Amino acid sequence: MNEVKVIRVVLMFILLSAINLVVYGCTNTDNKLQQSNETDESTGATSKLEANSGELVVYSARNERFVQALLDKFTQDTGIRAIPLHEASPLRVVEEANNVQADVYISNDLGALGYLHMNGLLLGSNPKGIDTIPEEFRSDDNAYFAISARSRGFIYNKDLISEEEMPKSIEDLFHAKWAQVKNGYAVTRGGNGGMIGHVSALRYEWGDEKTSEWIAVIRENAAGIYQGHGDIRRAVGAGEHAFGLVNNYYYHQQLLEPRDNNVGFIYIDQEEDQMGVVVNAAGVGLVKGGPNEANAIKFLEWLLLPENQVAFVGQSLELLINSHFGAVYPPEVEPYIVGFNEIKAQNMPVKELGNFFEDTKELIEKSGLDLDLR
Amino acid sequence: MGQVHISQFDKTKKIKQGKKMPSNILQYVNRKWLSIWKGNPPGLVLILFTFFTSLLMSIPIFYVIWRSFFAGGDRWKRLLDERIPQLLWNTLSLNLAVTVCAVIIGVSLAWIVTRTDIPGRKIWQWVLALPLVIPPYVGAVTYIIVFGPSGWARDIWNNSPLIVDLFGEYSINIYSFGGVFFVLTMFTYPYVYIIANASLRKMNHNFEEAASSLGSTPLQIFWKVNLPMLRPAIGSGAVLVSLYVLSDFGAISMLRYVTFTAAIYFQRQGMDISSAAVLSLVLVLLTIAILWLESLSKKKNKYYQTTNTYRKPLTLRLGKWKLVTFFYVSMVFLVSVLIPIIVLVYWSNIGIRMGALDERFFGFAFNSLKVSGIAAFICMLFAMPIIYLRSRYPSVISSAIERLSYSGYALPGIIVALGFIFIFNNHIPSIYGTFHMLYLAFVVRFLPQTMQAGDSSMRLISPRIDEAARSLGYPPWKVMFKVIMPNMLPGIMAGGSLAFVSSIKELPATLMLRSPGFDTLAIRVYFEAHERIYHLAAPSALLIILMSIIPLRYMLKKY
Amino acid sequence: MFDIELKNITKTYSGSEESAVKNLSLTVKKGSIVTLLGPSGCGKSTTLRLIAGFERAEEGSIELAGKTVSDKNIWIPPEKRGVGMVFQDYALFPHLNVFKNVGFGYKGKDRAERVMEVIRLVNLKGYEKRYPHELSGGQQQRVALARALTRRPVVVLLDEPFSNLDADLRVHMRFEVKRIISEAGATAIFVSHDQRDALAISDKIVVMNKGVIEQQGTPKEIYQSPSNKFVASFVGQSNILEGKINEDNKSVLTDLGIIPSYSAYNYKAGEKVYISIRPGSLEIDRNGQMNGLIKELTYSGEFFDIVVEVTLGNGTCQHLIAHIPPEEVVKVGDSLNFNILSQYVSIIKYH
Repeated sequence: MNEVKVIRVVLMFILLSAINLVVYGCTNTDNKLQQSNETDESTGATSKLEANSGELVVYSARNERFVQALLDKFTQDTGIRAIPLHEASPLRVVEEANNVQADVYISNDLGALGYLHMNGLLLGSNPKGIDTIPEEFRSDDNAYFAISARSRGFIYNKDLISEEEMPKSIEDLFHAKWAQVKNGYAVTRGGNGGMIGHVSALRYEWGDEKTSEWIAVIRENAAGIYQGHGDIRRAVGAGEHAFGLVNNYYYHQQLLEPRDNNVGFIYIDQEEDQMGVVVNAAGVGLVKGGPNEANAIKFLEWLLLPENQVAFVGQSLELLINSHFGAVYPPEVEPYIVGFNEIKAQNMPVKELGNFFEDTKELIEKSGLDLDLR
Repeated sequence: MGQVHISQFDKTKKIKQGKKMPSNILQYVNRKWLSIWKGNPPGLVLILFTFFTSLLMSIPIFYVIWRSFFAGGDRWKRLLDERIPQLLWNTLSLNLAVTVCAVIIGVSLAWIVTRTDIPGRKIWQWVLALPLVIPPYVGAVTYIIVFGPSGWARDIWNNSPLIVDLFGEYSINIYSFGGVFFVLTMFTYPYVYIIANASLRKMNHNFEEAASSLGSTPLQIFWKVNLPMLRPAIGSGAVLVSLYVLSDFGAISMLRYVTFTAAIYFQRQGMDISSAAVLSLVLVLLTIAILWLESLSKKKNKYYQTTNTYRKPLTLRLGKWKLVTFFYVSMVFLVSVLIPIIVLVYWSNIGIRMGALDERFFGFAFNSLKVSGIAAFICMLFAMPIIYLRSRYPSVISSAIERLSYSGYALPGIIVALGFIFIFNNHIPSIYGTFHMLYLAFVVRFLPQTMQAGDSSMRLISPRIDEAARSLGYPPWKVMFKVIMPNMLPGIMAGGSLAFVSSIKELPATLMLRSPGFDTLAIRVYFEAHERIYHLAAPSALLIILMSIIPLRYMLKKY
Repeated sequence: MFDIELKNITKTYSGSEESAVKNLSLTVKKGSIVTLLGPSGCGKSTTLRLIAGFERAEEGSIELAGKTVSDKNIWIPPEKRGVGMVFQDYALFPHLNVFKNVGFGYKGKDRAERVMEVIRLVNLKGYEKRYPHELSGGQQQRVALARALTRRPVVVLLDEPFSNLDADLRVHMRFEVKRIISEAGATAIFVSHDQRDALAISDKIVVMNKGVIEQQGTPKEIYQSPSNKFVASFVGQSNILEGKINEDNKSVLTDLGIIPSYSAYNYKAGEKVYISIRPGSLEIDRNGQMNGLIKELTYSGEFFDIVVEVTLGNGTCQHLIAHIPPEEVVKVGDSLNFNILSQYVSIIKYH
């Protein structure tokens, strides 16, 4: 029995398994790279993946249900396996700048995409079909673009409050009387993407001082502050609050509910002298240095097909920017759809949002509205 | 035999002499090394293996401390002024309330099922431990379904004119301190229950008999004899509950309450990493404070050993109290097991009829199994050498290795995840973004559980056994494989199954570390429940519970 | 030819100021049975563990079968020393049956035959498939002994092997173990705190106290001529008195009177000495020279255990313990005349 020999064997074993672990990790990323270059000189290990002609890593901040259906369709159409990470914060992309994992980033807030682009994390390209997107809804180098849009406004519970009684302008909220309405009104936490976009637009319109005052007032008067808009529409639908500040498609969604669906929606600031509704858009950006760039471009071009722009809207019940492509809405919702061309929108270009992203968060927090629930 | 041995002695002699240290410094180091290990140093492989394990285990804690130093005075000041006082109050008040009530429920149930003639004792014994396999966030979901603003209770309430006349419109608010407190208590009391139950059953009846011969009533015996002897068990149960409440994310965030863990998660979502690190440090300090409190109470108490004149305790006749006691036990069971299961089965049934058990669902289930299984296996693999080193080679070094390996015990999952993201993203990018990161985090988090269980069976293996094997010609490494491992296996397996159960229901670290396309059942429950798609959340939750029950049975038999 | 040789061994456990073993030297002849006897904490177990290689001495050397296994530069780990060990709690491997326990570590081609040979030696044939927890204490001890013998070790070390057995079994196993070891032709070192075990089985007894050897010799030597007070009182009961060698060099002058002793001629007349009187040396004699009152009396079957109070010339009292035949008719308070027989009296150098 030679102890030295035995120790050597054990050491080798440990070393080998360690190497194995690292190599296994590496081959995974190697695979990704190989597929992106579409070289076929890979070993047996990748043969299974070749059959699917590769992968696409999708980070998405949009509601999972809308995106998953879209990605399933993509995989079906192209054979490329879409690997999703839902509920991904844009800042995760920032964090991974030196170790890029994502190929494309889908966001419900064009501000977030603009912010990523400002930080040099998105890659400009010229996908086929990009001309279908109006210029104010895409960056100059097409690094990101929007497909669908939503406007901000009030969802209200018709059992608790009538259309006449509802506030018609965002400025109305300065008034303390809205704190007295039965069950009060609801807003989201300050860090919500829709809220950040909205405040950015107000800053563009009003300047920081008035905006800050507005934030402080709603912080004071709101009866409920929620994590997200889904919570608000359900709460308003169930009568827990009289009305809430949401995006219009949440109103559409609430209409689809089997119960608690006696709700209405106010498109705010529609009068001559008013600013118009604040508009935000959902879209997609191409991440710089992603592992499967070629597939990412394929995805963008696929997405720009009219049929797939419609699919992008999907169950979200948002408004398609290219409304003539004919997004389909369920019969319960159809009568209440207000076309994008029928409303007066604020004149701030949506793609400007990114410039406000970082500062706006700071302003919100300073004005007393927490970014997160506490 | 003599011949063989003589030649071996010669060889060894030569090696030793050949290795003779050339310089004095080396000789000094060598002597120092020997003296650290009291003349009996372990093999190099063992030291290196355990050392790297402990290093992996302590990544997160070092990361948190390091990051919080770079947060800057400004951020510290802002957080100390604004966030921390409120968070401290939220966290500590909830923690105290839940711990106290969980201890009361846990101890009283344990006493009732071990000492009284309550009908169905045998069944209650293990049925009352069942809430352990219901993750509190699942419990939270079920109680939102029942008591939420548009829950079942509202319909019942508003449809019965009597209640409306008496109390007005439905007014239960589950999204409140009370709601969080209720849910956490109902799903954490088993920690206390199981430990108290085990120690009540092992408790020697002689003491009670002595007390009753001195004329004490059963109640007095409980207060004066049982309770003081239960104190160590209550202490460790309370610490488990308390640490759990500190680390819980799922139930707390679903019920819209905010404690340190939730705040850290949301800060991190907003990528305010420095603030997250500062809050994490406070959270770590809180955990350490709790562990410190427990160690204080342990020191004050003598360790009670049961003598070998063990006698089975008498069963107390409940008499007229039987109905009340039975009602109490049934209520706890109803609330903590029956209602959640009914709700889950109800929604699962709807979900399954709507086709919830599709390919995706089985994919998630497979991911859960895979990642928890690997984590449990690694836990068992890593635990054994560390326990062996600590038990057979006591020294400063081995206890440092053990302590570091235990750090996951005090670390909420969220902090483990934060540390892992940072280290792997910046320094080991090849593993970042893969599922390897997830099970490694589970290992950090749950290795201590495996170590504890393994340690208890290691204690039963006398060091003489090792010496016997060595005198029979086995070198230490062979002793470990041939003698220690087979005898430690039952404990290690129990520890491994505990790690499995804990991994499969873990939420915050899973949420933060999941790789693209690798969702687990826990993540599905969280997201679907958040979107109130209960028919999709329920089957996943039910499957988590089912997969946890089998290891739990195995574990309870051990205790 | 010595099988085992310890030279000037010193061992100090870290954290303790006293050395467990101090400058100890010891030799053991091949094929002999040696017992290290002493109270707990005397260093006897440490000595055994040093020989086995479970502890390392900081000074001195140990040779086994002519090969140095431990000194300043050499360290042979326990697994290479070729010693067999029987532990106090037997330390059987709980996960292995008797056959596998006994065969543990035996690598020869004749494994099955050798294991069966040893199992027959310890009278356990038919129990090969049993597990340790299915055996009685005595059977477990046989397994432990068999396991230690299988590899034909240089020496078998037995650490308090009888302490876990009840009285009857203990007496029986003493003879059994002695027989088995002799039949195996092994060299053995026992550790015990029980003088009866030591006297019954040893070729040589080494009495230890506080880390040093007090006396070594055959059981008879140790019992009959203890070389100091500690040995006299530890090995068997003894009354120890101060005295002076009488001028006839055949007896000792004590407060009790003149006590005859054969070994008095080894000393100078008038030299101050201790004298050890074994309980059995008290003979009841109506005409005996000494007289005392029976203060305590215990019947123990084979004899009466009594305490006799003798009033000395200067008015003080001296208590003597003694054994008297069970057929004597005595009771507490009786006056007793007696003689002291010289064969159980030994003289100890004054120190």
